[in-house]
Amino acid sequence: MSAVLQNLVNQPYKHGFVTDIESDVAPKGLSEDTIRMISAKKNEPEWLLEFRLKAYQQWLKMTEPTWPNVKYPKIDFQAISYYAAPKQKPKLKSMDEVDPELLRTFEKLGVPMHERAVLAGVAVDVIFDSVSVATTYKHKLAEVGIIFGSFSEAVHEHPELVKKYLGTVVPVGDNYYAALNSAVFTDGSFCFIPKGVKCPMDLSTYFRINTQESGQFERTLIIAEEGASVSYLEGCTAPRFDTNQLHAAVVELIALDNADIKYSTVQNWYAGDENGIGGIFNFVTKRGLAKGVNSRISWTQVETGSAITWKYPSVVLQGENSVGEFYSVAVTNHHQQADTGTKMIHLGKNTRSTIVSKGISAGHSNNSYRGLVKIAPTAAGARNYSQCDSMLIGDQSGAHTFPYIQVRNNSAKVEHEASTSKIGEDQLFYFAQRGIDAEAAVSMIINGFCKDVFQQLPLEFAVEASNLLSFKLEGSIG
Amino acid sequence: MSAVTPVTATYLESLLAGQAQLAASPLAWLNTLRAAAVERVGVLTVPTLRDEDWRFTDISLLTKMSFHPLRTAINLQAADIERFHIAEAATRLVFVDGVFAPQLSNIDINSGVLVSNLAAGGAACAAHLGRHAEFHNNVFAALNTAFLHDGALIVVPRNISVATPIHLLFIATQKDVASYPRCLLLAESGSAVTLIEDYVALQEEAYFTNAVTEIVLADSARVNHVRVQREGAQGFHIANCAVSLARTSNYQSVSVALGARISRYNLNVQMAEGAECAVDGLALISERQLADTHTCIDHAQPHGVSRQLHKCIVGGSAHAVFNGKIMVRQGAQHTDSQQSSRTLLLTGRAQIDTKPQLEIFADDVKCTHGATVGQLDSEEVFYLQSRGLSDTAARNMLTYAFGAEIIDRIPITSLKQQLEQTVLEQTASQL
Repeated sequence: MSAVLQNLVNQPYKHGFVTDIESDVAPKGLSEDTIRMISAKKNEPEWLLEFRLKAYQQWLKMTEPTWPNVKYPKIDFQAISYYAAPKQKPKLKSMDEVDPELLRTFEKLGVPMHERAVLAGVAVDVIFDSVSVATTYKHKLAEVGIIFGSFSEAVHEHPELVKKYLGTVVPVGDNYYAALNSAVFTDGSFCFIPKGVKCPMDLSTYFRINTQESGQFERTLIIAEEGASVSYLEGCTAPRFDTNQLHAAVVELIALDNADIKYSTVQNWYAGDENGIGGIFNFVTKRGLAKGVNSRISWTQVETGSAITWKYPSVVLQGENSVGEFYSVAVTNHHQQADTGTKMIHLGKNTRSTIVSKGISAGHSNNSYRGLVKIAPTAAGARNYSQCDSMLIGDQSGAHTFPYIQVRNNSAKVEHEASTSKIGEDQLFYFAQRGIDAEAAVSMIINGFCKDVFQQLPLEFAVEASNLLSFKLEGSIG
Repeated sequence: MSAVTPVTATYLESLLAGQAQLAASPLAWLNTLRAAAVERVGVLTVPTLRDEDWRFTDISLLTKMSFHPLRTAINLQAADIERFHIAEAATRLVFVDGVFAPQLSNIDINSGVLVSNLAAGGAACAAHLGRHAEFHNNVFAALNTAFLHDGALIVVPRNISVATPIHLLFIATQKDVASYPRCLLLAESGSAVTLIEDYVALQEEAYFTNAVTEIVLADSARVNHVRVQREGAQGFHIANCAVSLARTSNYQSVSVALGARISRYNLNVQMAEGAECAVDGLALISERQLADTHTCIDHAQPHGVSRQLHKCIVGGSAHAVFNGKIMVRQGAQHTDSQQSSRTLLLTGRAQIDTKPQLEIFADDVKCTHGATVGQLDSEEVFYLQSRGLSDTAARNMLTYAFGAEIIDRIPITSLKQQLEQTVLEQTASQL
């Protein structure tokens, strides 16, 4: 079998994409040949192959990081298949065929009817034509000059843009998983907002979710030119099941003068069962470069899924008066582990950053906030405010805070505060007095706790996210 | 720890060089303890910036110098050290370059407390010495333990309150000497005592102080621990202090770091049920000094209370480091912990790395921490100017007030005044 495959992959690329599912999966293991194969399959230009190979060389020299506060069995990088052509999933004919467990989840989350169908993988054109909706949106975006599509498309249609910005924020050798991603990424999203354009709608990967799986090594690149602004949504509240255990994505954001990028994530990947068996390892590198004057980059994340979450959406504040923001809610239950936070690197004058992080840990889970605020000698008048609050539910869980503060300029002002609390008996009693049962009370308390972050999410996302939280913590109290 | 590199290995060998000449003690357990420590020094390496605990503290300068153990003791006269006396302290133990100097010391026999040289220690000593200050993974504590000979042993008997503070004075007089001060304080149940650990120098050349202090509090004991580090400007000071608290005991500590080219203070506090501690610190440094404070307060049992306020005033191109870890272990319910790190940067080249760290494994707890970094508030300066103070005087006063909050917590009047004067002088020279 493997010899046949070997022959197959060594052949020059002749056919179109999806032919035979079996034959389009690369053999396990990572080598230069695998990378050349991926690049050839995707019909990539020479410079991109070089980019990948450079990353691979760097990756070989690196060792897996051990500093995060997470525990997991060692990953065998040679046991992973690094390329699978986008698979055609068997389409379900109607909602009746969908897993009832999934339907129950949709019900709880209040996902609109037509979206449920899309998410469950029902052949959408039967019920609701989301493809045409997506196309309509695309036309509307094209009118104002916005480029939004898959990364592979962009490589072919706008190579000059991709080449100019790829790897400028997260260099190939940035860290172990970023290097791995740079070597083997298969697809992702690309978004370009030209000068002075305010994106007329929230961009979302939502519409691309089932037409194309982006795979385990996703690459996202968003560029906002001078005066442009965009709000980008990643993921969705519905649970996402995936057979790939290791996910190592890279997201790069670039904001030029007066540009504004808002990036919101709701992550609810499979977290493993109650005993911590299975679940996705989510090792992500996300970084924004606030390059221009008065530019602004804002990260909002709601992290509820994955067995292990290991990500630090960061902002490099290079332009004068640039602004970085980080709003995060991380919820862990059962045996989940999250080590997440942010890095705010102040380089330019009068740069400002705000960090609001809320961690909730229940069951046997561990939730860590790890943040860095760095004020370079050049960042005169920089300002940072950080707040990280943890809530513990049950006495088997853990909450940790590791805020690194490094200041090299005395005109900077940095403040950090953190607190830990629990849902008190007295609070629950007060709700009970008013005729509200424990479950609804917990949901309300948690919503109050996370309010500062939910306010940053686009409206319909915020509603779903708050439902998601109570759903995740169901049964962990009382 | 990072891989053994020849440089640090030979460096440690050179530091250990005099250890073999150390006379074997008549106490078998002490010889065993030393041998165990020597073995660890052989295994461990000097930490570098690649070690998480030493990420911001570059001690390569220390490893470039060669230090030897004391060869010939200097004969100091009482008059030489008079200026270091603390009026309130009836009992004073003086160590010159790490060696006990009985002629300079004074032991108040009426205080009811047992004060002696560690070398004469009995069974109590054997049960505690080296048991609290872990040297298995700490190369400096291991070095100190390997050289264990002299040291202060203080035993406060049951239910005795010692009225006057006990002053431990460690004086550095010779250049290129590595000294290993050691202190063991045993506070038996219901006792109370105030201990002053004081590090001074009579010379300005490079030397190395590597100190270890162990403090053991039995049930309901109270210990006030004041630590003043005013080493010489070229000195290196590395100290480990381990405090173990039993039920409902109370530990109050104020540590002030003023001197040394590079200083590092590790304080580990182990909390038992219902124990309380207040751990405060002030680092006032300038020029090219580096002062690093690492503290760990470990709440292992329920109902513990801890308070911590650490302040740094950083001038010149000095570099301050603070790492404060609060650990709340599973089952340590109803822990109440507050921590605050505040830093004042006086100049554009001053640096601070601060990391208040919480690790919590229990749900019914109250834990908060905070950190601020900044310069003097221009509105406060303006307010004082509007009252007729010059800009310099206003800044001076505000800087002084910032530091005085910590110094005010020292329970010994004469020492407090002395330190306040020092802070005032130093802030005045900065601005």
